[in-house]
Amino acid sequence: MFRRAPAGGVKKTNEGDTPMTDTFYEVLRRQGITRRSFLKFCSLTATSLGLGSAFAPKIAHALETKPRTPVIWLHGLECTCCSESFIRSAHPLTKDVVLSMLSLDYDDTLMAAAGHQAEAILEEVKRKYKGNYILAVEGNPPLNEDGMFCIQSGRPFIEKLKETAADCKAIISWGSCASWGCVQAAKPNPTRATPVHKVIFDKPIIKVPGCPPIAEVMTAVVTYMLTFDKLPELDRQGRPKMFYGQRIHDKCYRRPHFDAGQFVEEWDDDQARMGYCLYKMGCKGPTTYNACSTVRWNDGVSFPIQSGHGCIGCSEDGFWDKGSFYDRVTDIKQFGVEANADKVGGTAAAVVGASVAAHAAVTALARARQKTGIDTPKGED
Amino acid sequence: MVCVEDACDSNPTAMVEAVFRRIHHERMAGLPICNSALSVAALGFQRWQGDWVGALVAPWTINLLMLPGGGAFRALSVGQTQDWAFPSGDYTFMGSREPGLGAYQFCSLFSPVNHFADQAEAEAVADAALVGLLTAPPEATPPPVDRRAFLRTALGRRASA
Repeated sequence: MFRRAPAGGVKKTNEGDTPMTDTFYEVLRRQGITRRSFLKFCSLTATSLGLGSAFAPKIAHALETKPRTPVIWLHGLECTCCSESFIRSAHPLTKDVVLSMLSLDYDDTLMAAAGHQAEAILEEVKRKYKGNYILAVEGNPPLNEDGMFCIQSGRPFIEKLKETAADCKAIISWGSCASWGCVQAAKPNPTRATPVHKVIFDKPIIKVPGCPPIAEVMTAVVTYMLTFDKLPELDRQGRPKMFYGQRIHDKCYRRPHFDAGQFVEEWDDDQARMGYCLYKMGCKGPTTYNACSTVRWNDGVSFPIQSGHGCIGCSEDGFWDKGSFYDRVTDIKQFGVEANADKVGGTAAAVVGASVAAHAAVTALARARQKTGIDTPKGED
Repeated sequence: MVCVEDACDSNPTAMVEAVFRRIHHERMAGLPICNSALSVAALGFQRWQGDWVGALVAPWTINLLMLPGGGAFRALSVGQTQDWAFPSGDYTFMGSREPGLGAYQFCSLFSPVNHFADQAEAEAVADAALVGLLTAPPEATPPPVDRRAFLRTALGRRASA
């Protein structure tokens, strides 16, 4: 299904030489992708990163000249929904480019190799690209019983994770499992499923939460890191600001109904048919930071609220332990709003300095201007 | 307050406040998403390219608001948006309609607003946002050409020479 570059993509060199790697573009052309399609991908990526079309040539240039960076993708305790989302990136070329060209050298779910052969590839990437590969982690390690609840290649996953992380350049924590723990960490968390940042402390970690994260967000994050050779700007919780800087509620197409106090009171009532706000039905949109209401899902076709169900807040820390999906958001603080940059006064102090107010206002205006991803209101009424 | 075909010919502050106070008391009553320390206030409404722009503070949201005044304002249904180029940048406003107010557009700044301690704080931020909206960011002006430095470079001399 997916064309893959040979593992490592390493050009033959004399023994002992530093391996010469292909650029993204070289691999891409070898796979039969036209230059026109390549440039289209670059411009699509620039747009989805919110960088504007002026950045497309910059991305193209980087992909043409930089050696491709190998990505090792490990799976801990998870359901593979992140992989399922990732391989369904909207643009057909995106998955071609990201899966085949960006050197996803080890992914035990997607790779053709198995068993010892697969483990050999993992060792080879770790050795040849020491300090230069990106480690993507889907799922998390369970720590109870010495990690016996997740065994890979005959040993606990936590060992494999720590070894692979030791020589990587940066870590991407895919999904709510790797970022926060998710349902397998639900109270009382019998396996002690633990998010990646609580077991790896010495590497830069970018969290891309969601259950699963949006495909376009995943590919954009990977492409950004490979193109610019750095992490995108992160918020205080370690999430890329460009996709997690706004609440679902901020750009929800049903927001006008919220502001006007027009709510669905029970499932399938007239207000539901009229597409009123789902806050009273437990929608967590007001407290959830994600790009679902702008990027949407399945090639921009829809997202949960557009399908008539409230947001369950799957990208927020602890969403699995905060009561029913259908409970109204009551205690706003427990959902992490206070941890966000919106915080204005800081305390209950009655007087807010003019500069504090101005700063809050400027931040809000910048957030309002931010255009995340590709807003494609397809399939809307 | 007279609105002819949805276009307000005079300042809509009182009308906006009346409508959102009614929404507050009728539809939003008792909802935990409302901040009980806040009340409805329409702030700083002024003409902008023919239409009205201002800020709305309510216990459940702080928005920028636009009302028709004869400019480029389009009456939109829920789900539609209009892009506006303000001095501080481009903003996307969402369309809505409410009896007593007619068509209006808004751009969300804060919601929920439970972290605002009191009305003064909320209004200070809303006022500052409106000022920020209508103020162009200072342009990065290139430093004036230094004739001496220019010639030094052009003649290939060292700066210390």
